[in-house]
Amino acid sequence: MKFCIRFLIAFHLIIPILNGREFDERHFPIQDGGRIKPLDTFARNQLLALYGKRSVKHDGLSAIDWIIDLALYPEKGQELTKVFNIRSPEVVASLGLEWTNNDHKYVFNDVFSGLQTQFELISEIQSKPDETRISFERQLLEIYFNATRFRAIAYSLSCLVPVISVNDPVLAEKLNSSPGEIVSYAHLIKYLPSISEIYRNMMEKPEKEWSKIEKELINILLELQEISSNETSQALKLIPPSHLDKTGTWLSPWELMDGRSHEPHQDKILIALEKYLAGRYEGNKNKMISAIEDYMVGILSIPTSKPEINLLKKETWVNEADLFYTSVTFYILAFIILGLSWMTQPKWMKIISYGSLILGLAFHTYGIYLRMVIMSRPPVSTLYETIIFVGFVVVVFAVVIEYLRRDGLGLFIGSVSGAILHYISFGYAADGDTLGMLVAVLNSNFWLATHVTTITLGYGASLVAGFIGHLYLIEAIRKPHDVSNLKDIHKNLFGITLIALFFALFGTILGGIWADQSWGRFWGWDPKENGALLIVLWQLMMVHMRLTGLAKPAGFALGMIMNNIVVVIAWFGVNLLNVGLHSYGFTNGVALNLVLFAALELITGFGTYYWAQTRKGRLIVER
Amino acid sequence: MKQIIKTISHPKIFVYTVIWLMVLTVLGTIAQRDIGLYASQQKYFSSYITWLGDIIPTPGGKFTMIIILVNLMSMLFKHNIWKLRKAGIIIVHLGAVLLFIGSGVTAIFSSEGNMVIDEGAESNYVDDYHKMELAVVNTSKKNLDKYTVFDEPLLKKSNKLSHESLDFVIEIIEYYNNCKVQRRTKSSDIQYKGMMKNFDLIKLKPEKENAQNRSGIIYKIENSDSNNDGIYGLILGQSVIQTATINKQNFEFLFRKKRTYLPFSIELLDFKKVLHPGTGIAKSYSSEINLIENGIPRRVLIQMNEPLRHRGYTFFQSSFIEAPEGEATVLAAVKNYGRLFPYISSIIMAVGLLVHLVINLPRLLRKQMVGNK
Repeated sequence: MKFCIRFLIAFHLIIPILNGREFDERHFPIQDGGRIKPLDTFARNQLLALYGKRSVKHDGLSAIDWIIDLALYPEKGQELTKVFNIRSPEVVASLGLEWTNNDHKYVFNDVFSGLQTQFELISEIQSKPDETRISFERQLLEIYFNATRFRAIAYSLSCLVPVISVNDPVLAEKLNSSPGEIVSYAHLIKYLPSISEIYRNMMEKPEKEWSKIEKELINILLELQEISSNETSQALKLIPPSHLDKTGTWLSPWELMDGRSHEPHQDKILIALEKYLAGRYEGNKNKMISAIEDYMVGILSIPTSKPEINLLKKETWVNEADLFYTSVTFYILAFIILGLSWMTQPKWMKIISYGSLILGLAFHTYGIYLRMVIMSRPPVSTLYETIIFVGFVVVVFAVVIEYLRRDGLGLFIGSVSGAILHYISFGYAADGDTLGMLVAVLNSNFWLATHVTTITLGYGASLVAGFIGHLYLIEAIRKPHDVSNLKDIHKNLFGITLIALFFALFGTILGGIWADQSWGRFWGWDPKENGALLIVLWQLMMVHMRLTGLAKPAGFALGMIMNNIVVVIAWFGVNLLNVGLHSYGFTNGVALNLVLFAALELITGFGTYYWAQTRKGRLIVER
Repeated sequence: MKQIIKTISHPKIFVYTVIWLMVLTVLGTIAQRDIGLYASQQKYFSSYITWLGDIIPTPGGKFTMIIILVNLMSMLFKHNIWKLRKAGIIIVHLGAVLLFIGSGVTAIFSSEGNMVIDEGAESNYVDDYHKMELAVVNTSKKNLDKYTVFDEPLLKKSNKLSHESLDFVIEIIEYYNNCKVQRRTKSSDIQYKGMMKNFDLIKLKPEKENAQNRSGIIYKIENSDSNNDGIYGLILGQSVIQTATINKQNFEFLFRKKRTYLPFSIELLDFKKVLHPGTGIAKSYSSEINLIENGIPRRVLIQMNEPLRHRGYTFFQSSFIEAPEGEATVLAAVKNYGRLFPYISSIIMAVGLLVHLVINLPRLLRKQMVGNK
């Protein structure tokens, strides 16, 4: 145990050194989904929605490079980068694209021209209520929204990209550039008033009499006109609001091009961004580095609610480090080594397996901790986070059980359920940003910390109990004569059940107290409340069945396996009803998985139960 | 006596009733999808008898919980339970008894409703969520309106309503939980008055959300010794007030949510809704109000998770109405004498379970030394 503590302290000291990196373009703050996040997170989430992954694999592009290149070379990005992942052959057919078996990734231009032929259908689908849409319609609509968003991103920085060349020395001087230099829309708009005289003179003359300067000017104006057609592309909210703004809504660069006056901090960021893009355009590393420095100065000069650069760096680091992938790797490793130790039996292998489990738990814990720091809220507030946290709870229990028993039981529980829960959570993470904002009722740190955390602890402990229930029955089949072993496992099972009952009961009551505090009723028979109640009632029933002898140890084990079904239904199932206050985070396909899980538990639970009973019966007969 | 206690306190009773309670919970939850929360709650949880499939009578939620309570309480009279080793268990069960008693108190004595207040306006009454009332107002006197109010239990079909303050009788002809107004196509020779001259009330299926139901009533005025005898109709939320002059007295007839008047009033100064920046997701709602008692105002801010508690009432930020004319806040008002029970009982139960776990867990989690290879 001492070793573990020392190890954890060392771990905690090393990690921050790794994540103290220089500020760069990945950390540019952007407002999205109600909070300020690093551009890196934004880019990854967009890519996840379009492409299904967090980087463009076949081009070897990271998310941040993808998004900046797209904004810098919109035409190229639309024509060449295959980021539209269309998984439905029906949708591919309706867009007139060719279905390729292994790839089905498409470029924007092809998708867009396909969508243009389907506009009538799309507006028809949009007018329907969501629940009446069939799967094809939903997917088509999703592609349509993705395409719209893609376009809004592609041109959102077009006012800052240098694309217009000024050759005439007089014009160049007036427009604050040097002859032959290529400048951006934003730059020209700023200095346009200084050439108003030339423009006025020009307009008084017929076209034939225009001088060379005037001809160039009119060309520049036409180009400006064309670029300004992108002014509705406002997807990247990179510019902080004016200090007078009360809502705290950030702006996209295009929104500042409408002639409003810029405040110093806005100008600093805008100019730094322009400089960065120009540097990237020219391939000038030094210019990019100096632009990034200017950018940071700009952020530091924001007068109200300044984003914390430290947190932006942390979040970017979290994106890259993928702590939960690391922890799941260690869990799997722990399981493999445990398996080997069963075959070969040396003791040191179990110790290594235990170490691997604890290492995984350390990464797991650190991941949860960082999410808490970034969002400044308690560990559990969304469905995704409940899964991560239940996984954490289960592994903690497993580590304790292993410490007390030292026979591999804890290792088995921890490595298997830790890994499985991680994989389930990855499925939920694929829906997009896992660090979302909360609606008003849930926005209370105190209650999130108490009620939600407690009930989630209850879920975790319940799952551990179900797991031990399985083990009991397996052991009863394997070694029906080893009575003391079975007795032991049964006692463990009962102990964990009591812990589960404790957390489930108080989680539920605390939920009632929260409800009483926020809308004046302790209990309202809302589906999620009922779900939690069912867990409590089921466990109370099991405890009393054991007391009265209605359930013998094997029956008790079976009951706690069935409790898993109750837990999972309470956890995910009530969202399927789509009624009540708690119906957040509904995901398609959950229903099928629930049914599969319940079927699996029923079959294995009852199967092993009867098998164990017959083994026991035979044992008695033999005696 | 011992035998009786032994029988009714048997944990097997608990096991079977708790199984039944689970069945009810599952049915009552699934039913919410079709009939809505309120109706399902009435049918499965707040009832003594639940009619399954409308034919088979089974014990309802209330009845089941009473059995559990009796079973729980009698368990405390058992002799073999009072042992130190079982201290935790006793405490937990005491807490559970308290929880059930509290829910009983709440079920019987609590009342809830809401207050809708426009910005700048003042209100001193609470509208019940579900119950209706028929108010007959005598407006003949210049500076005094005289109210005679009939509560919902009286508003039943073919009930005759009379009161010493009224020199006429009201007979209820129809009462609808949900209905709509429809223009009459044919003229009828029956003595229809008011709205009923040209319109009729048509019964509708109840909505899932009880709040969306528009109740309606059709009634007949008799023995008024005037030509105001006849059949009248009223619907919830009707904009034109039904008036009648009977025996030279002016009356108004109001059909509305049951009102409870407060000994103070609330004035809405400002309603605020804050969004998460750049999104449509609400971050918080709040109402800045004046609590006016004896003419003296006191400023209070009511917001999500931070209600106002005053004189046994608790006011919660519940909802809001945004209209072109301005904003209005909807406050939920609750009076619940049982609200402290869950707090106390949960503390007791927590202590009890902790005691039990501390006494028993070490024994339960450790691997037995005997029989260890």
